[in-house]
Amino acid sequence: MEELIPIIKKALEQVDVVLGWAQSPAAGVAVPAFFHTPAEADAAVFDSTCAHNLAVYLPRLADKKVGIVAKGCDARSIAQLIAEGAVKRSGVFVIGASCPGMIDVKKAWRCFGFGKQVCDAAGKVAMEGKTVAREEILLWKCRGCRDPEPVICDVTVGEASSEAPAPPAEPAGIRKRFAAMTVAERRQFWQDQFSRCIRCYACREACPLCVCRDVCTIQAHEPGWAGAAVDSPQSWMAQLIRVNHLAGRCTGCEECERACPVGIPLMLLLEEQNDVVEELFGYRAGGEAKPPFLTFDIKNDTWDEER
Amino acid sequence: MSTVPRKGIKATKPLVPEPATIIDVIVETPSIRSFRLVFDDPGIMKEFSFAPGQIGLMGIPGVGESTFAISSPPSRRDYIQFSVMKTGFVTSAIHELKAGDAVALRAPLGCGFPVDNWKGKNILIAGGGIGMAPLRSLLLYILDHRHQFGDISVFYGARTPADLCFVGDRAHWEEREDIAFIATIDSGQPGWDGRTGVLPRVMEAGRPPAENTVAVICGPPVMIGYALAALARLGFAEGQIFTTLERKMKCGIGLCGRCNVGSKYVCTDGPVFSLADLGNEI
Amino acid sequence: MRFIPEENITALLLRLSENATVWAPQVVRDTVNTVLFAPWREGAEIETGLYSALPVKGLVLPATERLFSFRYHRAGEREKIEIEVDELRERAAVFAARACDAKALVTLDALFLDGSGRSYNDQHYRARRGALTVITLACTSCDSACFCSSFEDGAAATAGSDLIFYPVSGGFLAEAVSATGRELAALDLFQESNLEKPPLAETAKVELARLGQRLLDKFDDIDFWRRTAEGCLSCGYCSYACPACHCFNIFDEMESDRAGGRYRCWDACMFYAYTLESSGHNPRPEAAHRYRNRLAHKFSYFPLNRGEFLCTGCGRCIRGCPAGRDVRDVIKALGAG
Ligand SMILES: Cc1cc2nc3c(=O)[nH]c(=O)nc-3n(C[C@H](O)[C@H](O)[C@H](O)COP(=O)(O)OP(=O)(O)OC[C@H]3O[C@@H](n4cnc5c(N)ncnc54)[C@H](O)[C@@H]3O)c2cc1C
Ligand code: SF4
Ligand code: SF4
Ligand code: SF4
Ligand code: SF4
Ligand code: FES
Repeated sequence: MEELIPIIKKALEQVDVVLGWAQSPAAGVAVPAFFHTPAEADAAVFDSTCAHNLAVYLPRLADKKVGIVAKGCDARSIAQLIAEGAVKRSGVFVIGASCPGMIDVKKAWRCFGFGKQVCDAAGKVAMEGKTVAREEILLWKCRGCRDPEPVICDVTVGEASSEAPAPPAEPAGIRKRFAAMTVAERRQFWQDQFSRCIRCYACREACPLCVCRDVCTIQAHEPGWAGAAVDSPQSWMAQLIRVNHLAGRCTGCEECERACPVGIPLMLLLEEQNDVVEELFGYRAGGEAKPPFLTFDIKNDTWDEER
Repeated sequence: MSTVPRKGIKATKPLVPEPATIIDVIVETPSIRSFRLVFDDPGIMKEFSFAPGQIGLMGIPGVGESTFAISSPPSRRDYIQFSVMKTGFVTSAIHELKAGDAVALRAPLGCGFPVDNWKGKNILIAGGGIGMAPLRSLLLYILDHRHQFGDISVFYGARTPADLCFVGDRAHWEEREDIAFIATIDSGQPGWDGRTGVLPRVMEAGRPPAENTVAVICGPPVMIGYALAALARLGFAEGQIFTTLERKMKCGIGLCGRCNVGSKYVCTDGPVFSLADLGNEI
Repeated sequence: MRFIPEENITALLLRLSENATVWAPQVVRDTVNTVLFAPWREGAEIETGLYSALPVKGLVLPATERLFSFRYHRAGEREKIEIEVDELRERAAVFAARACDAKALVTLDALFLDGSGRSYNDQHYRARRGALTVITLACTSCDSACFCSSFEDGAAATAGSDLIFYPVSGGFLAEAVSATGRELAALDLFQESNLEKPPLAETAKVELARLGQRLLDKFDDIDFWRRTAEGCLSCGYCSYACPACHCFNIFDEMESDRAGGRYRCWDACMFYAYTLESSGHNPRPEAAHRYRNRLAHKFSYFPLNRGEFLCTGCGRCIRGCPAGRDVRDVIKALGAG
C-alpha cells in the first residue's frame, strides 16, 4: 500500500504525530509506530499483520492533535471514544484503510515460530510448509466483519475489497459449544479458563474503551470488589467487572483477547454481552449514535427515549 | 551508606510479623496519633534494640501493614512508639486502635543514623510535619548521650500550631539550656507567640555554622528541597547532610522492588542517606 | 556421558512423580498453541518446540502465595493475634525447562537467598527452591526473539539446572550438574553413551558492553525515554513473563470473621500504582519513567548490586508484548558499547 506514506506525510502538516505501523525486523510483522516526522513515515506499512487497534493510544494523547491509520473496526472504536467524549473529533485525523482481514500474529507465531515471515509482499498471508487454515489464525472479528470500511474518516487509502469478508465462524467453535453447555458446565469452563489468568491486565491496557486504566476499580483498595489474589474466582470476578464496564461500549475489536498472553477466550464474554445489549437497547457500540448508558438520567431514573 | 551495624529483625522469617499490643495512644494533632506498643513475647521485647532512624512495619492483620519510623529512643525499654499520620487505608484503620488492641510488627528494619560517626560534632536537626518522628528518636538519643556531642540546634516546623506534635517533649526541649530548640509555624496565627515562617527560611536565618556540623533534615519533599538549598548556601558539604527518604514500601526487606531510588533501596540501604550517598539519584 | 532413550522418558517422569509434582510444557486445551508449564500426568503430550508463555519462576515465586495465616482470639480482657506459617510439604520437578529459565533461577537466588542485609533471605522462596528439581532440555533451535547468546554461556548455560538433556537421535544425552542430577542420571533408565553433544542454538546477539553506564548516561534524557516507551501500554505482561522479574505486592484477606491470611502476589514496575504513594505523589508518573526503570533495573542496578544481568535473553517480553515492543531495539538505541 504505497499510497499510505504520502498520505501520512501530508497529514503530518496538520497533526503532531501519526499512529500507524512499521515492520519489525525481528518479528517479521508490523508493530505500532509513532510517526513524528515525514522521514519517519517512510517506514509505514499496512498489511494483514496490522491487528493492533491504535485507537487505544488516543485518550493517552488527548492533549495532542493526532493522525491515526484506522481499519474498519478501529474506526468504530474511535467513533465510540468520540461519542463518549473521551476524544475530541477535532483532535483526530483519521486515515481510513480498507482492510484485507487481520491475522493474529501471536497465534501465527505459535504455529510457525516467532519471527517467521507471515506476510508476503502483496500483503497476503503466506505460510508455506505447515498446514494451518488461515481461518484458524484470522482474528475472530474479521470473520463476518461488520464494516470493513471505516465508519469515520477524513481520508481513505486502499481499494475497498471486492471480496466479501470470510463468513462468520470461529476457531474451535467455542461459542457454539458454550451455548450448548449447562450452567454448571459453563461455570466449570470459566473456572478452568481463569485458572490461567495472571492478572497482567494486558486485556485492560490493550482495550481502547478501558479508559480508567491507572485508576481502574478492579485494583482499587476500596471498595475492593475483586481481591488481588491470582486465583480463578478472583480473576474471573475481576474480568467480569471489566466486561460489565464495557456493556454498550465494547465495539468488538478483540484487542483484549489478542493481548491475553494465556489465551483466555475473552470475546466469548464480550460478544455475548454485546448481543444482549443490542437486543435490549437496539444499540451496538461503534456508531455515531449516542450510547444508551450516556442517556440515562440518574436523578429521574429514566432513559432518554429521544436518543 | 550508614556505617551503623545493621540491626535487623529476625533474619529467618523476615516477612512474618510478631504479635504486639498497644499500651497507649497519644493524640498529637487532628491527623497524627502516637502509638506505644509492646511485643506479646517478653523475650523479644527484652532483646529488642535499634538505632534512631530505623523503621518498622506495623500492621493490623486483615487490613494491611505500613511503614513508620520508630519515634521513641533506643533507651526506652518498656515500649516502642510510632507516630502515625492518617492518610489512607491502613493508617485510617490504625487511627481507630485503642490501648489493649492487637497489632503485628516487623521491626527494626533499614539503616539508622550513623550516630557513632557523629561523636564530637555539632548537630543541626530540622524536621517538618510528620518528618519529626524519626528526629524525635534521634534527639532523645542525643540527649541520652549529651556529652558525646557538640552544640545541638533543633528546628521543628508545621503548618499551624495545632499541627505541631510532641507537646510534652517540646516544653521540655524549650526549657533545656544545652540545646537550642525553635518551633515555627508557616504563617502567623492568633494565640501563637512563637516563630513564624517556613522552616528552611527560619533555619537559614539562624545562620548555623557549617564547620564540624552534621545537618539532619526530614520532612515533606518540598521542604527538603528548600532546606537543601539553604544548607548549601550556609556552606554545608554533601557528606555533612543526612536525610531520610520516603518511597512506597511493601516488603521492607529489599525484595518487592518498588522502593528503589536508582540502584539503592530505601528499605534496606536507607531510609537514612547522606547526600553524598545519593549523588544525583535523589 | 549418560543417555536416556526416548521411550524411557515416561518412566522417568513417573519415577519423579512418586515424590514430586512434575511440571512440563503443554499446549493448553481450547487455545491455538498457548503453551504453559502444567502438572504432567501419564499420557499428556509435552510441547518442547514452542516457547511457553510463562517461565518456570512460578514454582519458586508463585503468582499468589500465602505468607502466613492469622487468627484473632480473646485472651482474658484482650484481643490477641496468633500467626502461623504454613509449611511447604510438596516437592516439585520441572521437565524440559529452557537453559535461560533455569539460569534465571540462579539470578533470583542471588537476591532471595542473599541475607546480607541488602536483602533478606526469604524463607518462602528458600523452601520452594530447595524442593525443586530442574531438568533442562538444551535448545538446538531458537526463534528470532531469543537472544541468550548475548550473555555468558548462551544456550549452553548450565546454571540452575540439576540435569541437562541434549536431544540426539533416539533419545537424550544427560549431563548432571548437581548431586540431585547425578542421582537421577544413575537410574537404570539411563545408560552409558559415547555420542557427541549436538550443536546448540546460536541466537541473536545484542551489545551488552558498558550497557549499565550507557543507560545511566541517557537516564536524564526523558525525551529519549518518552520516545522509547511511546507504544508501551503499561501492562504487566513483560514483567510477569520474565523469568528474572520478581516484584511482588502484599495484601491481606479475611477468610472468616476472625481469621485470614497475608499473601504476596506478582507486581510489576510498569504499573502506575506500583509506586503511587498515599499522598498522591508518584515518583514514576509516566510510562516513560516506568519503562526506564525496567530497563535500568535489568541492565544497570541489578548488575551493580548483584553482579549479574536481570535478564537471560529468553525473549518472552518480545514475543508476547501486545504492543510489539522489543527491548533489543532500546539497547541498540542506547548506542554502541
Ligand atoms: C521510610 C519511611 C518512613 C515513614 N515514616 C512514617 C512515620 O513515621 N509516620 C507516618 O505517619 N508515616 C510514615 N511514612 C509514610 C507511611 O508509610 C504512609 O503514609 C503509609 O504507608 C500510608 O498507608 P495507607 O495504607 O494509609 O495509605 P494507602 O494510600 O491506602 O496505601 C496503601 C499501601 O501502600 C503503601 N504506601 C502508600 N503510601 C506510602 C508511602 N508514602 N510510604 C510507604 N508506603 C506507602 C503502604 O504499603 C500502604 O499500606 C513513612 C514512609 C517511609 C517510606
Ligand atoms: S490479559 Fe489475560 S492473563 Fe492478563 S489479566 Fe487479562 S485475562 Fe488475565
Ligand atoms: S508487555 Fe509491552 S505493552 Fe505491556 S508493559 Fe511490557 S512493553 Fe509495555
Ligand atoms: S527481560 Fe525479556 S528477554 Fe530478558 S529474561 Fe526477561 S523476559 Fe526474557
Ligand atoms: S524490571 Fe521492574 S518488574 Fe522486573 S524486577 Fe525490576 S522492578 Fe521488578
Ligand atoms: S519495600 Fe520492598 S524492596 Fe523496599
